[in-house]
Amino acid sequence: MKQSSREKVDWDAVTAESTIESIGFDSLSILDLVYDIQQSFHVEFEAESLAGVKTVGQLADFLKSKMA
Amino acid sequence: MTERRRVVVTGLGVVSPLGLDEATLWQNMLSGKCGIGMIRAFDTADYKTRIGAEVDNEQLCAAMQARGLVSADRTVDMALAASGQALQQAGIIGGNPPYTPKDLATIFGSGVGASQTMYNSFITFTQKGVRGVRPTSVPRCMANAITAQISMRFRLTGPNYVTVCACTSSTTAIGIAYRMIHDGYADKALCGGSDTAFDPATFAGWNNLGVMSKNPDPGKACRPFDAGRDGCVLGEGAGALVLESLESARMRDANIRAEICGYGESSDAEHITSPSPDGQAKCIKAALASAGMAPNDIGYINAHGTATKANDECETKSIRLALGDTAARIPVGSNKSFFGHLLGASGAVELIVTILGLEHKKVPPNLNLDNPDPACNLTLVGEYGMEVSSPVAMKNSFGFGGNNAVLIVRRWED
Repeated sequence: MKQSSREKVDWDAVTAESTIESIGFDSLSILDLVYDIQQSFHVEFEAESLAGVKTVGQLADFLKSKMA
Repeated sequence: MTERRRVVVTGLGVVSPLGLDEATLWQNMLSGKCGIGMIRAFDTADYKTRIGAEVDNEQLCAAMQARGLVSADRTVDMALAASGQALQQAGIIGGNPPYTPKDLATIFGSGVGASQTMYNSFITFTQKGVRGVRPTSVPRCMANAITAQISMRFRLTGPNYVTVCACTSSTTAIGIAYRMIHDGYADKALCGGSDTAFDPATFAGWNNLGVMSKNPDPGKACRPFDAGRDGCVLGEGAGALVLESLESARMRDANIRAEICGYGESSDAEHITSPSPDGQAKCIKAALASAGMAPNDIGYINAHGTATKANDECETKSIRLALGDTAARIPVGSNKSFFGHLLGASGAVELIVTILGLEHKKVPPNLNLDNPDPACNLTLVGEYGMEVSSPVAMKNSFGFGGNNAVLIVRRWED
């Protein structure tokens, strides 16, 4: 996420409740995030399946389910 | 628009193999230091030419970080670093972001665009197929990523685009910016160029084309106008200039570095790589006419001087064709022996060096000019450089594809 975000973020303050948007992701940069996650964690999913994922915690849960 | 306005330079920025600021670059050139070395960016074991002039990675990263800039692509990064210097020097921006919107056009030249990101993208495609291509490779690899990023990061709200015409790219960009302001379409513009050819595939093309020097000695290989020259040496870098109308500069009490007096352009319409003296001479004459000047107004020529057999001989002919009897006594120098051929960035960086020379009333030497080629019968600046008191200089650029671009620049004297 650090690599893909375009905003200056206080990463130490990010919690599971932080929204993904607040860490500087818009509709374009979220594509980079999805790509980096797919390449790094070797998981396959369509960007659309992230529709309901709004927070960092939800993202972590989503990834866990893909890797299970 | 029928307004005709004087155009001045109020800011400079440079990222070069001999330093990431104008003072370091200038000092290195005066002391005869050559920025060409063994290429470190990739393994050159299979290449006929293994030398080039590279920008120091650590210094580039430091420059980006110092300005709070996130890395995008090497060509883009160099352009951003140079732009930040120029904009800050001109007093358009302060140190770090956030920046407020400013009405400047952004016009940069580049021969190969975001070459490293494109190379990485194609490699990923061949390795991982369709799904392996990063979705944002579209806005990352497009050639106008250079000016798009500059415009976005520094909040410049004038038009932004990249001019692509090989070695003339940044001279053309500066010429267009000059005309925009001269003819009243803009008050201020950020212009320049950025290029790098140091990825394995782009460099392989150059390797196989056969125009680069095969001399393995980095300090001796690039020999513009020398009888023993055997080809060019590539370099990477970026140059940025803030141009504005004299009125605008005076109104905000900006520090004026130089005046751009004229710009000429033409095409050879002959051969895709071999130059033609007629096309080049036409361009030089157009530049003089644009500046309202005669050949004997020119005090120094910063040549294209790539150190290929073809270019230097042709450039000699075109200078003589265009400037007649005066040609014989105007000192001519090429900067490429110092930092190689910066391709689309060469015009901008070499114009900056020319401006520094006008300010200091002194021009750097032609390195490796041990035995001037009789076919290059011009007054060539020797190994110790030369004092030049004349306030007017000409910057030549002649590119693959036959496009030619020449700028006339004058030392600013209040």
